[in-house]
Amino acid sequence: MKARTGYSTSLKQEFLKKWIKGIRIYSNFKKDMNILERKKAIKLSADLAIASTRNASTRWSRTLTANISKNETNKLFVEQIFSDSEVIKKEAPSRLMARSNRIASKKIWRRSHITQIKARKMGPYAVKASSIAKKLVKNRTKVLKSLVPGGENMDGISLIKETLDYIVSLRVQVDVMRRLASAAENSTRLGLSSKCSVHWLQGIFTVLDHWCAMVH
Amino acid sequence: MDVLERQWMNMKWQKSATHLNEDYRLSMFSIPSIQDQQFQGLVESDQGIVELVAQAKKPDPVMENGRNNFCRAENSLNYASCVYWNGSEFEMNYAIPTTASCPPEVAVANKVKEVALPEKLGSAARRESFKKRKSYKARELKVVAEEQNREKKAKGRVEEEDSKITKQNSNSKRTTTTSNNNKETSADNSKGNSKLSEIPKPDYIHVRARRGQATDSHSLAERVRREKISERMKYLQGLVPGCNKITGKAGMLDEIINYVQSLQRQIEFLSMKLAAINPSLAFDIENFMVEEMFLASTSSIPTAGVSFDVINPSHIQFNSLQQGVSCYGLETDVNPPDIMLRRTISSPVLMPEILLESSYLNASISTFSSSGFTEAGNVELEK
Repeated sequence: MKARTGYSTSLKQEFLKKWIKGIRIYSNFKKDMNILERKKAIKLSADLAIASTRNASTRWSRTLTANISKNETNKLFVEQIFSDSEVIKKEAPSRLMARSNRIASKKIWRRSHITQIKARKMGPYAVKASSIAKKLVKNRTKVLKSLVPGGENMDGISLIKETLDYIVSLRVQVDVMRRLASAAENSTRLGLSSKCSVHWLQGIFTVLDHWCAMVH
Repeated sequence: MDVLERQWMNMKWQKSATHLNEDYRLSMFSIPSIQDQQFQGLVESDQGIVELVAQAKKPDPVMENGRNNFCRAENSLNYASCVYWNGSEFEMNYAIPTTASCPPEVAVANKVKEVALPEKLGSAARRESFKKRKSYKARELKVVAEEQNREKKAKGRVEEEDSKITKQNSNSKRTTTTSNNNKETSADNSKGNSKLSEIPKPDYIHVRARRGQATDSHSLAERVRREKISERMKYLQGLVPGCNKITGKAGMLDEIINYVQSLQRQIEFLSMKLAAINPSLAFDIENFMVEEMFLASTSSIPTAGVSFDVINPSHIQFNSLQQGVSCYGLETDVNPPDIMLRRTISSPVLMPEILLESSYLNASISTFSSSGFTEAGNVELEK
């Protein structure tokens, strides 16, 4: 129990630090954002932060960072954030192509071979049932692939692995954000944020201070 | 030297076997480093591994038959480790028992051992010792020792599964197939001689064909793959709330998809909420929320048929938002198109449309038990 919370806590703290750093950098780039832009900044920094906690060891984190960096305006932002840490490089596209070709040809072989064997072993109805089941699974896998960043070219096994990791990271993100929001709510209710200036970032930082005070 | 250390290991294992379970857990959870904790955090949440550990305790009666149980818990050397035991018909008589309660010397010794381990395992796989065995469910996990890297928990845990070998439980004749098609089919009933051939083998996955199943390498490899997938699905079951009753890949995948989607939407919503923190800027919210709902929806929600009531910014109630967030997390099976068509927005509207489906939660609450969800959140709370 202790270590479990210990691990989650350290992960959350890491995420929080990077996230706040990202927000800060972003707001230095652009002053006076409207609410939509702020939301975008928040989400962007959060995604980058959570992806960087994995240190590019998982596929989804690499893809996420790469997708963010595709946008030119974000690119500078990303580079600033990661100036002191690791370099994220994307998998070479040629390798991806080769890989997906290999996977595709394997699948074709497998499909043909297996249906033969099954048709011999089982009756025709059983084959049909199992193929329906497989179709269901396949459709859902496709959806899952679209959800998890970078999931397109992965086979079932690594897809599940990535999903595991991704789910955990999402949970961390949600948890930290939620607590921050509830701290904000508390401070709003108590009128504490009235002393924060117009700049919206100040609001967050005031809230953070209160939160840290609450926690420790 | 070999025999001696083997016997020593044997004794040690038997001694520690009794308190293996709690030692395992304790040792797992007393290590401060991040990698370990990542692993532990995941391990503890997974009932599967705990069960496996519990099963590992059983093979005492079969120890005499030459079963080997490799037990290794995480040591302070930051190895991503796992319980490692072999409930098969292998003849090796040495076990590598370590718990974190072991003195560091043992840990060092184990470190040395684990280098030798893969090769011994490989050679052992080719030795056959077939004798009558009680049938019980035992699995074999291989220790993957990663050296001082940032092996993340999911990956570390999953790599155990990569070399998982499924053992059959019957006493009939078996064939051993290595993945390099090195077929040996001699049924050797030698009992006492546990001679290890010192040929170092690469890290193959050794599989045995079950009784009555095809033995060609393709179907075996397929079976390995299937079992890998099902093993990982079990981990996912532990992770996604409300998946305990669901069997079958399709249903599980469905739950996983819903869960991931709901998490992503939550993040969207929360970031919006955080952006709205500053109350002096609340009046902008009205305009922007309308836009936001059309733009920021993650799925291709048709926007026809939507009617908005007047959004009253002065009634921004973070309280209801907070509840809404936790409620929203419970929503699973509502289809986005249905959401859109049935949406009505009442006055304390700050949230995106999806939140207001709290009325549909009744149906979905059974799947995502609220206690499970918040409990998961609470457990991770800092003290």
